[in-house]
Amino acid sequence: MAVVTKTEPPPRPPRRRRLRYRLQVMRHDPTAALGLILVVLLAYLVVAPLVAVLSDAVRLQYGDDVHTGQQPGEWTGYYLWRVFRSRISTLLFWEPLLNTLVVAVGTTAFALVLGGGMAWLVSRTNVPGRRWLAGALVVPYMLPSWTFSLAWLSLFKNERAGGQIGFLQAHGIRTPDWLAYGALPIIITLGLHYYPFVLLLVGNALRRIDAQLEDSARILGAPRRTVVRRIVVPLMLPALSSAVLLVVGRVLGTFGTPYVLGLPVDYRVLSTGLFQSIRDRSTGVASVLATVIVIIGVLIVFTDMRLMREQRRFVTVGGKGAMDRPADLRRWRRPACALGLLVFAVSVLVPVLTLLLSTVTRTPLDLSTFTLDYWIAERLPGAVGFPHGVLRGSELWEAAWNSLRIVGLAALICAILGLLIGYVVVRGTAPRIAGFLRQVSFLPYLIPGIAFAAASLSLFAVARGPVPALYGTTFLLVLVMAVTHLPYSSRSGIAAMIQLGREPEEAAQIAGASWWQRMRRIIFPIQKGALVTGIVLPFISGLKELSIVIMLTTTGTQLLTTLSIGLVDYGYTQLANAVVLMIALLSFTMTSLTQRLTKSSLASGLGG
Amino acid sequence: MPNITLSGVSKSYGGGDHAVRNLDLVVPDGAFMCLLGPSGCGKTTTLRMIAGLEQPTTGTIAVGGRTLDSVEQGIYVPPEKRAMGLVFQNYALWPHLSVRENVEFGLRMRKVPGPERRSRAAEALKMVHVETAMDRYPSQLSGGQQQRVALARMLAVNPAVLLLDEPLSNLDARLRLEMRAELKRIHEESGATIVFVTHDQLEALTMATDVAVMSDGELQQLAAPMEMYARPANRFVAEFVGSPPMAIVDAGPAPAGLAASLLRFVRSRDTRAVPAAVGIRPEALRLGAPPGSAWSEEALVEAVLPAGSSWTVRLRVLDTELYALSYTPVRAAPGDVITCWAEQLHLFDADGSRISSWDRSEVSA
Repeated sequence: MAVVTKTEPPPRPPRRRRLRYRLQVMRHDPTAALGLILVVLLAYLVVAPLVAVLSDAVRLQYGDDVHTGQQPGEWTGYYLWRVFRSRISTLLFWEPLLNTLVVAVGTTAFALVLGGGMAWLVSRTNVPGRRWLAGALVVPYMLPSWTFSLAWLSLFKNERAGGQIGFLQAHGIRTPDWLAYGALPIIITLGLHYYPFVLLLVGNALRRIDAQLEDSARILGAPRRTVVRRIVVPLMLPALSSAVLLVVGRVLGTFGTPYVLGLPVDYRVLSTGLFQSIRDRSTGVASVLATVIVIIGVLIVFTDMRLMREQRRFVTVGGKGAMDRPADLRRWRRPACALGLLVFAVSVLVPVLTLLLSTVTRTPLDLSTFTLDYWIAERLPGAVGFPHGVLRGSELWEAAWNSLRIVGLAALICAILGLLIGYVVVRGTAPRIAGFLRQVSFLPYLIPGIAFAAASLSLFAVARGPVPALYGTTFLLVLVMAVTHLPYSSRSGIAAMIQLGREPEEAAQIAGASWWQRMRRIIFPIQKGALVTGIVLPFISGLKELSIVIMLTTTGTQLLTTLSIGLVDYGYTQLANAVVLMIALLSFTMTSLTQRLTKSSLASGLGG
Repeated sequence: MPNITLSGVSKSYGGGDHAVRNLDLVVPDGAFMCLLGPSGCGKTTTLRMIAGLEQPTTGTIAVGGRTLDSVEQGIYVPPEKRAMGLVFQNYALWPHLSVRENVEFGLRMRKVPGPERRSRAAEALKMVHVETAMDRYPSQLSGGQQQRVALARMLAVNPAVLLLDEPLSNLDARLRLEMRAELKRIHEESGATIVFVTHDQLEALTMATDVAVMSDGELQQLAAPMEMYARPANRFVAEFVGSPPMAIVDAGPAPAGLAASLLRFVRSRDTRAVPAAVGIRPEALRLGAPPGSAWSEEALVEAVLPAGSSWTVRLRVLDTELYALSYTPVRAAPGDVITCWAEQLHLFDADGSRISSWDRSEVSA
């Protein structure tokens, strides 16, 4: 009989012995090694670019030594001065900053009113066809964000910029510059793209509000209006603030729309300013701008997380009482439905039809000038850079193949990385490594894509050590695209692995399966579904991606999105519209197919 | 069949608290050893260390003379090479494989040829009575069936050491009873060494040949089940094993009331005895006229709680509340004053270790 009273724990064996033992364990369980590899990889792909862009912002670049009298590579405040305090800083920074703010505030207000109203309509009222509306009103988010800006130009463009004039101008109605270009159209077109975002976030929150909370207030004698003001709105605040901050964050990093609609009147925002600086090869200035965008992006997401944490305290959202009891609109039912249809028409039908018709008419939207030349003609007179219909020649097909290849590969890498990160985190053999992976894989979420692309350019544009210069290679595109989508896939990978737990793998281990066998026969087969969603969601979002790739593509690595923007630059409106239509079609089909097949909602892909 | 030896095994997470502290334990060849203790006592960690799923911070683990873990010598054999069987608390069946594939998996890993694999899997499933569910998937099975499949999956590879981590805790009462008998039968038929983790003392007492009680990462007592019940090594074991638990009366520096009465009785039997605390099991506290040699006292009946086959009576004896468990009908009503007497008393010293017990039939040390 062993009777043991409290004993002191025995002394640990010497460090060397313990190390030898740990090595033995690691030899048989590669989790720790895998974790270490992932740490190095993420440090290199996520952290290093940020460090590089930061260092580029405060060190003298080649070619600028004549201005400063310093040696290239030396520490310098020259770029900071140039961006913030010099004579051209208004042009470089302050004006774009102001414009960005105007666009952000305007877009957010627009999206909030439209999205919030529609959210209420489809989730809390008995509007006819609400289910259909709920699905249809999300469609704008499936289209590339600058689809709307091209459609806008097709309608309102005047002769100020080159290329075909818009519909109104063609019919003799002069469109002033403020209507054709600049802040107003940017706000409207971006708002049309982002309101589904608000609709999804606010709609979810509205659906989750416990009807009993409203009932209680009404039983206590509060009139309907008071209930809304005192109960519903405060409960909606977290979702609202989240929607606001996320829309602001997206607007900050968006490139296509301000480029298309802002350039003709020199209306610059931070993202287009950054692009311009890179194009002008003023790396130092670009680095400062990228850093500013990164900082604003990080601040926005942190504020959002902070608010969410604080507000979670009073969000009572009880699952059971959340009854679906829509407000009766009575005689307003039909008008409300008409309003919903109108929003759908304005945000989907009008832009898409405008684009479609513009590609098949010589005079904008005039069906008497119907032609299929822009699609299939072998020779297009006057179009020097692209002298044939989009479906002819090799440009479109090459770009499509590049898109498919590059985005597909990135999505695959992303999904596998996500699952592996989840695996290391859940195995928990190395808590510190797991913590690092969790946080660093989330980091790109904080950073607007265009700034991250600029940062990657800082690191990879020149040869560093054994790594050759990667600018212009598909490899760089794949890397950056995979990394920017990593937050979503690593989150879903971690969630999937946590849900699975360690036990199925341990059971296989006990049954005698080696690590490879466990991966091949147990982990990956079980996570097949998660893997597929992990590939498809980044793939769809990558197909539409412009902000990230615009700076990284060269003529050799044209993607569908950059091809379309290139055609805009040439002034080949119809051809650009045709390409963007194809992207929209592709992305819409894939999204709805995936939604139908995997029953995953688009909302989960938003990361909101 | 091998014995399992743990010597000086400790496990701490991140250098902080010890989950297991300096554990010396020998599981004899062919034993059915129960690791018993409250949650967080380190019993599951111990089991997982034997399986190789976790690694000790110090110490040595050997099975059948073969060292599997030795921090000091830098030896580590991974779980997949230990050839043991482990049933998880949540069964951990692979959801993407059918019942048959689940059971065949271990054989496949051991490169057993197809026909033999099928027949051995069928045999294992037959042994646990789920042969009809062969082609279904785990999600289509009831909890009891899943549990049996998990057992069959382990039995199919015919391991010499079986490890069970609270495998019955997710089953309902009837199934649990059935599976207890089943496990006992499997133990007898296979002759394997079994280590079974549970927090349910009834499971430990009914199935095990040896029970190791753990608390706070330390081994409290290692004994045969009835021995443990009759002679708990310390206050922890005394209070943990037995239901309702043993009442322990502390003497304190100036014993008064019930404590004084008990001490007077103990001294009258053995003048050298200086217990710091005296324990009475509810089933050893009897009601009615005492036999001459036993401790007895007047008691006020506070409540009578019938439970079908037994009656629990709450008594106030001097200043203290005591419970008596009776297997014969209790005729007293609340408010009655009756006599109670003790069939057996357990004596503990100041650090809680058992000194001896007083028994009506014999006085043992």
